[in-house]
Amino acid sequence: MSSGLFYAILGCALFALGLAATLLLREALRRVLAFNVMGSGGFLVFVGLAQRDGVVDPVPQAMVLTGIVVAVAATALALALLRRLEQTDAHEP
Amino acid sequence: MLIAWLIVLPLGWATLAWIAGPRRGAALAFGGVLVQTLLALALAREVAAHGPVAHAVGGWGAPLGIDLRADGLSALLIVLTQVVTLPLVLYTHAWLDAQDRDGAILWPLLGLLLAALHALFLSTDLFNLYVTLELLGLAAVALVASGGERAQLAAALRYLLASLVASGCYLLGVAIVYGVHGTVSLAALSAVLPAQPGTPTLLAGALMLIGLMIKTALFPFHAWLPAAHGSAAAPVSALLSALVVKASFYVILRLRLTVYTSWAEQLDWLPALLGGGAIVYGSWQALRAERLKMLIAYSTVAQLGYLFLLFPLLAVGEVALLAGALQILAHALAKAAMFAAAGIALLATGRDSVAGLASLAGALPLTWFAFGLAGMSLMGLPPSGGFLAKWLLIDAAIMREQWLMIVLVVASGLLAAAYVFRILSRAFRDAEHERAVALRRVPRSMEWVAFALAAASVLVGIEAGAIAELLGAGGVR
Amino acid sequence: MNADLVFDLVLGAGLLWSAAGALLGRDRYGAVILFIVFGLLMTLAWVRLAAPDIALAEAAIGAGLTGALLLDALGGDSAGTAQRGASRWLLLPLAGAIAILLAGALRGLPAPSGELREAVSAALAHSGVSHPVTAVLLNFRGYDTLLEVSVLLAALLGVLGAARDARPARLSAAPLLQAATRVLVPFMLLTAGYLLWAGAHRPGGAFQAAAVLAAGAVLLALVGMLGGWTRPALRTRLAIAAGPAVFLLVAAPSFERTLLLQLPPQHAGRLILLIEAALTLSLGFILAGLFLALLRGDTAGDGQA
Repeated sequence: MSSGLFYAILGCALFALGLAATLLLREALRRVLAFNVMGSGGFLVFVGLAQRDGVVDPVPQAMVLTGIVVAVAATALALALLRRLEQTDAHEP
Repeated sequence: MLIAWLIVLPLGWATLAWIAGPRRGAALAFGGVLVQTLLALALAREVAAHGPVAHAVGGWGAPLGIDLRADGLSALLIVLTQVVTLPLVLYTHAWLDAQDRDGAILWPLLGLLLAALHALFLSTDLFNLYVTLELLGLAAVALVASGGERAQLAAALRYLLASLVASGCYLLGVAIVYGVHGTVSLAALSAVLPAQPGTPTLLAGALMLIGLMIKTALFPFHAWLPAAHGSAAAPVSALLSALVVKASFYVILRLRLTVYTSWAEQLDWLPALLGGGAIVYGSWQALRAERLKMLIAYSTVAQLGYLFLLFPLLAVGEVALLAGALQILAHALAKAAMFAAAGIALLATGRDSVAGLASLAGALPLTWFAFGLAGMSLMGLPPSGGFLAKWLLIDAAIMREQWLMIVLVVASGLLAAAYVFRILSRAFRDAEHERAVALRRVPRSMEWVAFALAAASVLVGIEAGAIAELLGAGGVR
Repeated sequence: MNADLVFDLVLGAGLLWSAAGALLGRDRYGAVILFIVFGLLMTLAWVRLAAPDIALAEAAIGAGLTGALLLDALGGDSAGTAQRGASRWLLLPLAGAIAILLAGALRGLPAPSGELREAVSAALAHSGVSHPVTAVLLNFRGYDTLLEVSVLLAALLGVLGAARDARPARLSAAPLLQAATRVLVPFMLLTAGYLLWAGAHRPGGAFQAAAVLAAGAVLLALVGMLGGWTRPALRTRLAIAAGPAVFLLVAAPSFERTLLLQLPPQHAGRLILLIEAALTLSLGFILAGLFLALLRGDTAGDGQA
């Protein structure tokens, strides 16, 4: 099995783990972690599948780079909302 | 050039509004949207006269570069975006003043939201669509949360998580498509995709569809919407219900028409079934809602169900598409008007209750009338745009002998009437008690905005001919 | 079994283990640490996939900045809430089922056509840079990058909006750490500058450079030399807006260049460097701002940036 395809399948496993966790877990912080795992899985599939013949492909690499940046933006916003909720709850029990 | 400026302009004034600060933000927003309106109308005229307009960004051309394309449907939706937003800018300015808040965050976010909508409607590239969906989603979440109230923060977080799961599924779909076909350009894919796509492509399609259905809040993936639209600030709710949820629906429609065409006909019943469920569930919840904005939000869930009924009817031809377009237009304007009216009620009475709106009947008749007009379009009473949309839908359903669908459309009209009348009738019953409540002054401009949006929702029916011409000449398929 | 496959298997196992641990572990603090480990292992995976640009970004942004955000979000509350029993036991089987469904669909695919790769190589000479990933990111698909920068700005606006009424904070000064930081930060600036310049012909570029800048800002905040933000002042707003503004100015159509983001080949290299320089500044501020806006501190700062 080529290295690319191996990572694509690994990516499927990570995506599945992240998706199941986002759906089933209750705590918001874990769901944010889960979404990140899901995203990382998807990125691995993106590059791994495209490079399954072992040749480097810059297009999916550029797209995944964009995806990582978008993911951190979303994570930051989610954490900010989470933090503000905790602070608001703490001030008005 | 028009297309390029439709992207650059909103991003530009959003950036300027961010630098310039809250005081100049409103002026920049108004000026920007005004120019955008002119650009949008010019684009629509161009498409109606000469057919779809293409724009190869950077000069490279797909699949190496990204292509933008304005056909009848996208030009129409871009015009709709301006028609809804321009009055809402005035409304928001008055609303911020009345609440004594500044728009330092709100105006730039509005510009980014509009840029995302334009970019989405014009895109022909699966990954580019992903980025536009992300921009749209984050801007929308940020707008919901910008009020700072606990309910808004909680609703925004829920919305964000749902949106991110959806984007994750969509992105995996795109990843598989690229891996199998070597391109993410819609044009290239529609050429390359055989009549019977293999399992991987089907799986990718399912993933993308699930992601987009979550973003469109199609039953049963609707759970995030009532809280988000129901607790956000009134102008934000208006934008979300009118435009943002329609964007992901547009992407589904675009994929269905361009890439997943012939064999997908077998599966068209699935979205229609879920749409039917949305109509029933959404209407029922609207009937039970105690808070006015929640009622309107559930109504959105129901009305979005309509749009999914059109998938099995696509085979009929242009009629189905025209029905869908009219439904989008009429609902967007009516819903924006309703949320605007609800916002006025909230401002005037200090309460977000169904009874609160009722108390306005005497003191703010214009607002109450606007709500009634919007309700008329939602119910599908002639001669409103909503009526024409439902009529065409029934027409197409008859042609395809989809009897259950006709029952659903008629039933939903009756259910909509039920929840609209529920509000209006309270005015007669409760007006006596409510007159004692002191009403805050509400700026006239806000009332006129609500009225204008509601009137537009009714008048859309009259312009149906021009719309049909745009769709036809634009060559949507 | 060759060495490569063994390495991949071990790495794969490590990724799955750290991910599962982060999601299912009881202790929140431990979960975040495992998540950072996951990020670092992902960096190795990207190296194995011959994607050094992604590896750099993952290390700096995915593991680094996200890790800092998470640790700051935890604050003092590191005790976990016990996960509900039923859903935990359901999770692994559900994940397994989905994984098998997905992986099964990907078997037996023919080799990729490679057309797009070849198109990139063919057009590389006219793109203004010699590193293919940078060419795709800032020229061929530069429009995506323009939108992506807007996404970051939207996220920052959201974070600032949510932080509006919070009290800004400043961590207490730690003299020894401050001295060490004073030495480190200039090196970080140099590294960022190098990454920016190098991006034209080898892995690197604006995002990686900005991540290093942001890391420097986070470091300054952690030792108490920089305070939290809630209402950025005009200078900061200009710095944040510089990237999008320059990008838009270059991208906007004019009378000679009627298309969006049309970079004439003879100037493309310089224009790309210009855009990347402005982006490095802005994205550095934005990424730092995402952290600083909600800094949980010991003393109250004034919130002005």
